[in-house]
Amino acid sequence: MHDVRFKGEDILGRQLELAEANYKKLREHGIRSVSVLGAIGSGKTTLIERAIVRLRSEGLRVGTIAADSAGDDDHRRFLAKGACSVNVNTQDDCHLDAHTVDHALDDLPLSELDVLFVENVGNLICPADFPLGTEREIVVISVTEGDDMVRKHPKIFAQTDLVVVNKVDLAAAVGVDPQRLVADYAAINPHGKIVLTEAKGGRGVDEVLALLGFPCTNTQW
Amino acid sequence: MHEYAVVDELIASLLPRLETIPGEVSAVFVRKGELRILSDRALENAFDLLSRGTRLGSARLVIENVVAVVGCAACSYQGASKYYGDEGGHSAIPVLACPRCGAVVSVVCGRELYVDRVAIKDDAPPWGGVQ
Repeated sequence: MHDVRFKGEDILGRQLELAEANYKKLREHGIRSVSVLGAIGSGKTTLIERAIVRLRSEGLRVGTIAADSAGDDDHRRFLAKGACSVNVNTQDDCHLDAHTVDHALDDLPLSELDVLFVENVGNLICPADFPLGTEREIVVISVTEGDDMVRKHPKIFAQTDLVVVNKVDLAAAVGVDPQRLVADYAAINPHGKIVLTEAKGGRGVDEVLALLGFPCTNTQW
Repeated sequence: MHEYAVVDELIASLLPRLETIPGEVSAVFVRKGELRILSDRALENAFDLLSRGTRLGSARLVIENVVAVVGCAACSYQGASKYYGDEGGHSAIPVLACPRCGAVVSVVCGRELYVDRVAIKDDAPPWGGVQ
């Protein structure tokens, strides 16, 4: 028996290279890009819908990649808000990968976009190991999933510098104190930012956009 | 179950590198940083299934976990991170803040995921000697 050693090339090296290529492509077109990760039903789509409307009112052209295991519901919602959208069905895959995003970028008019949102499949574990090549990443959870969500998924929160806690208007109805989520996140990631939102009504959306580098000035939207 | 996608990449990238290396592969040793969100058991199960019918079919996957090391630009600390939760236990999570001064840290190691080495069974010598 003998061992053969290898140079420490990352197993997901191909994915990392593709993510890097996506990043370069988006930068070359001057597009600011944001991945949106989060639990199923946490309000990722509603938050992006609100962001589309808000950013369009600021004169920005918004593109979206809507990923779901099946269907085109989110894609249609983004189109209805005026985004340029591509629908991606991952079928049995629980996450998007950089290769799929690369193909989706081919279907978008990149020279006509200023901002791109990539909505990942609803899942708080799997997408974390697959970088897509976007500039920023946010994780969306909601109070209706319980106030232990951060403690149950500590690794993803330890590595995410912007978290949105959505549906705070329902906190009392479901008996959840959003401040517990805030406190848990602060313990796991002392330098991260966390924003409480009610995306459906638009509350907190401007704060999220400002933290993503899109300060909104237009008060009429 | 993204472990299947990871193991699929592992096998696809490893097989070409083994083409010039004769002998039966008995083990594949993977170094996995503790910041990766990957289950050892799911990786092993995926490897058992996906390696069938390949040169890695009789190999076992051995995961070697790598402890996180963080570096602080503010106070020049480099070393072990603070942990959240069950400190020293199985579910402790590295906190990405400096254990000495609290500033933001960079990850020196703890995010890696690579094949470090493979174990090859040596062929029986032609005279039938004891191995």
